[in-house]
Amino acid sequence: MDHSKQIQDIASKLFAENKIDYFVGYRQNAIDDSQVPYLISDPAEIPRLVFTDRSVFNLANYLKPEHTRRKRVGLVVKGCDSRALNLMLTESQVKRENVYIIGICCEGVLNEKGEKAQNCIECVMPDAVVYDEMIGTPTGKREYIVNADIKELATIALEKRADYFEDIFSNCIRCNACRHSCPLCYCAKCCIDQETSTLYHGANTSSGAMHALMTWSLHLAGRCVDCRNCEKACPSHLPLHLLHKQNESVIYENFQQHLAGMEKDDRGAFYKYSLSDPDDFIL
Amino acid sequence: MSVFIVETDKAGLQKFYEEIIGKFETYAPVEKFDKYDYKKVSNLSECNPDSPIETTMSLKPLFFPKTAKIMKFQEDSSGTTLSETDEDPLAGSRVILGVKHCDARGLQVLDQVYNWDYIDTDYQKRRINTVIVSTRCDKAGNQCFCTSLDYDVENSDAHDVRIVNGLDGKIYIQGVTEKGEKLIKSSSIQQPASDGAKDELSKHYKAFDASFRLKMNYTEVNAKLQKLFDSPEFETVSSNCISCNTCAFICPTCHCFKISDEKIKDTGVRYKSYDSCNNGYFTLMAGGHNPRPVKYRRWRQRSLHKFVYYKERFGMNLCVGCGHCAISCPVNISIFDVVNQVSKIMQ
Amino acid sequence: METEVKEAQGKIISAENPDIVAPADWQPVIMGILCNWCSYAGSDLTGTSRIQYPPNIRIIRVPCSSRVDPWFIIKSLQTTADGVLISGCHPGDCHYISGNYFARRRFLVTKKLLNFVGYHENRVQFSWVSAAEGPKFAKVVAKVTEDIKKLGPLHRYKKENF
Repeated sequence: MDHSKQIQDIASKLFAENKIDYFVGYRQNAIDDSQVPYLISDPAEIPRLVFTDRSVFNLANYLKPEHTRRKRVGLVVKGCDSRALNLMLTESQVKRENVYIIGICCEGVLNEKGEKAQNCIECVMPDAVVYDEMIGTPTGKREYIVNADIKELATIALEKRADYFEDIFSNCIRCNACRHSCPLCYCAKCCIDQETSTLYHGANTSSGAMHALMTWSLHLAGRCVDCRNCEKACPSHLPLHLLHKQNESVIYENFQQHLAGMEKDDRGAFYKYSLSDPDDFIL
Repeated sequence: MSVFIVETDKAGLQKFYEEIIGKFETYAPVEKFDKYDYKKVSNLSECNPDSPIETTMSLKPLFFPKTAKIMKFQEDSSGTTLSETDEDPLAGSRVILGVKHCDARGLQVLDQVYNWDYIDTDYQKRRINTVIVSTRCDKAGNQCFCTSLDYDVENSDAHDVRIVNGLDGKIYIQGVTEKGEKLIKSSSIQQPASDGAKDELSKHYKAFDASFRLKMNYTEVNAKLQKLFDSPEFETVSSNCISCNTCAFICPTCHCFKISDEKIKDTGVRYKSYDSCNNGYFTLMAGGHNPRPVKYRRWRQRSLHKFVYYKERFGMNLCVGCGHCAISCPVNISIFDVVNQVSKIMQ
Repeated sequence: METEVKEAQGKIISAENPDIVAPADWQPVIMGILCNWCSYAGSDLTGTSRIQYPPNIRIIRVPCSSRVDPWFIIKSLQTTADGVLISGCHPGDCHYISGNYFARRRFLVTKKLLNFVGYHENRVQFSWVSAAEGPKFAKVVAKVTEDIKKLGPLHRYKKENF
């Protein structure tokens, strides 16, 4: 999968027609074969743009006001990124006329070890769902697979599982990189940072980390698109996908096979309801 | 500086480590989630003192913990009573194995600020009661640039014992401070080094120095950055930063913290936890004014604090060249690239 | 994910952490978060009808069951509570038309996630109690208290050293 040439062509066309102020793509990292998000406003930098199977970062993150406020942006999106972008559009975080979207029919990206990433193996929608221009041949929607780690963890005893998660939470340093790298965490002031609230849990203890990560994952439940930006950003290498995939699997199973961001104007599983939702756990 | 050196081989070094673990409270790099963290160990097999620098977290949490209780408070009808926390920062003495040179230097840099206008007694206690055994890297990592900065890596006195894997197959254990010398003398490794040991050490250092990918002219960068407060280049270098704070949290020298209160009913504890200047709320004031609302200003503060302001005040550079910020950064921004790119605009 | 509850002679063992044992007369603290329009009025009716129910529940009143953010539950479990009971109007009876339908979805996911990270599934329970169901409220509280007594004290992630 190498679409560097096409992306460069499209970017120069967009700059020539004065359709965009910024272009967001990837460039090669100087020292190894990994890639870095690259924001350009100058057409002279276009030749550095690349796109291969090492283009892992979710670029929809750069549509947050902190980065490109009130600017017209052209950006490259893979399947998962486009689902996040779809949600951002539905939730009125971005104006559709301000973004020019280059959709990719993704063949899966590689992780740090050079293997196909786990979320790409389990990907349900490799093609971009929202785009102005499409690169590659669409392969269509795939069947939903329940994450292997979730299935394995569900079989072990409650105490063991509790120990495992306590270990994860005690290794968290609460830098909030997970939140900042998530394209859907765009709140101007995050609820877990509200120092004036009595619910605020600012200390960096394992209970504080548990409170922050659980709240964060439940606020993203029904919206998480499994791009795993959070996991790539985590300096402690915590398996944060476990929380999100658990929520996703419960939602898929119980709420009409809902998957976040697949359709236009879908605001996530918690913004709608059905009269036939499961009720058997309620006394 | 002491020049007490003993020589041994691989098996001898293992024995040296085992003796230390048996005798003292020992901390060493332990693998967890594909990275190494300094944790308490009771057995040499559960840790790896030769952990690769790229995947080893910094030593900072052992001296400046990620969260610490400052005080307790209790409210009743007569008012609020404050009390000390019952937590002892460090009960006895301890030894840390497998420390990298840059990490140890980071503590020397932190000493300056902790010994400044307010003396942090907990930090001092931890510092005095710790013996640091560091292993010199054989090869520089991809993002390392410690030899380019303002300290002497070869003769560093930031640690107490230095272990060097000589090119001739021998392992040299060097006592750098009195504490370190005492530690070596208390062990069973007692064969004094031969006369060629010093040459061997400098030969090893030369090979290590030659393996660096990143080199810069520190004095030039420092001089130029002093005049570059208004440089537009800061905006370019920080354009893809996502303000995630990772760099500051894992940095061996960053020392900003926030204060938070935890309360149940009328009793509570005041905590001190890490914070980062890359965080948008970091400089938010009570009236709502934020002097650093955009990320390029925060990056300017970060790079100038590391390379200019701290040097002016304490005579030391706040960056030790470990490269961890670049390794952990999700978008691979390196402080090395930032200061170099910004200072080049003058040419 | 059902876990069997261990029982010792005359002692109560914590379900999540078998090392923690409480005396047999240990009483749990249960956080009750009740919706203003149905369950809170229901609990009022229980009181005015002189129906006895366990005194372990501490009640908080919220406008609607959909006001309950998952972090209320997490925070309760981290402070004094050993269990949480959340109660709202029956489906279709919501004062705000559809609040409890939204809440129902959130509760299911929250319950499953808490169980996934190591809380026993009976720690957090939900019920629909209307303003006319005084006896039902007493029954629900009795059941939840009984369940949580069996599970023993909760010690994981409790805030340290207070």
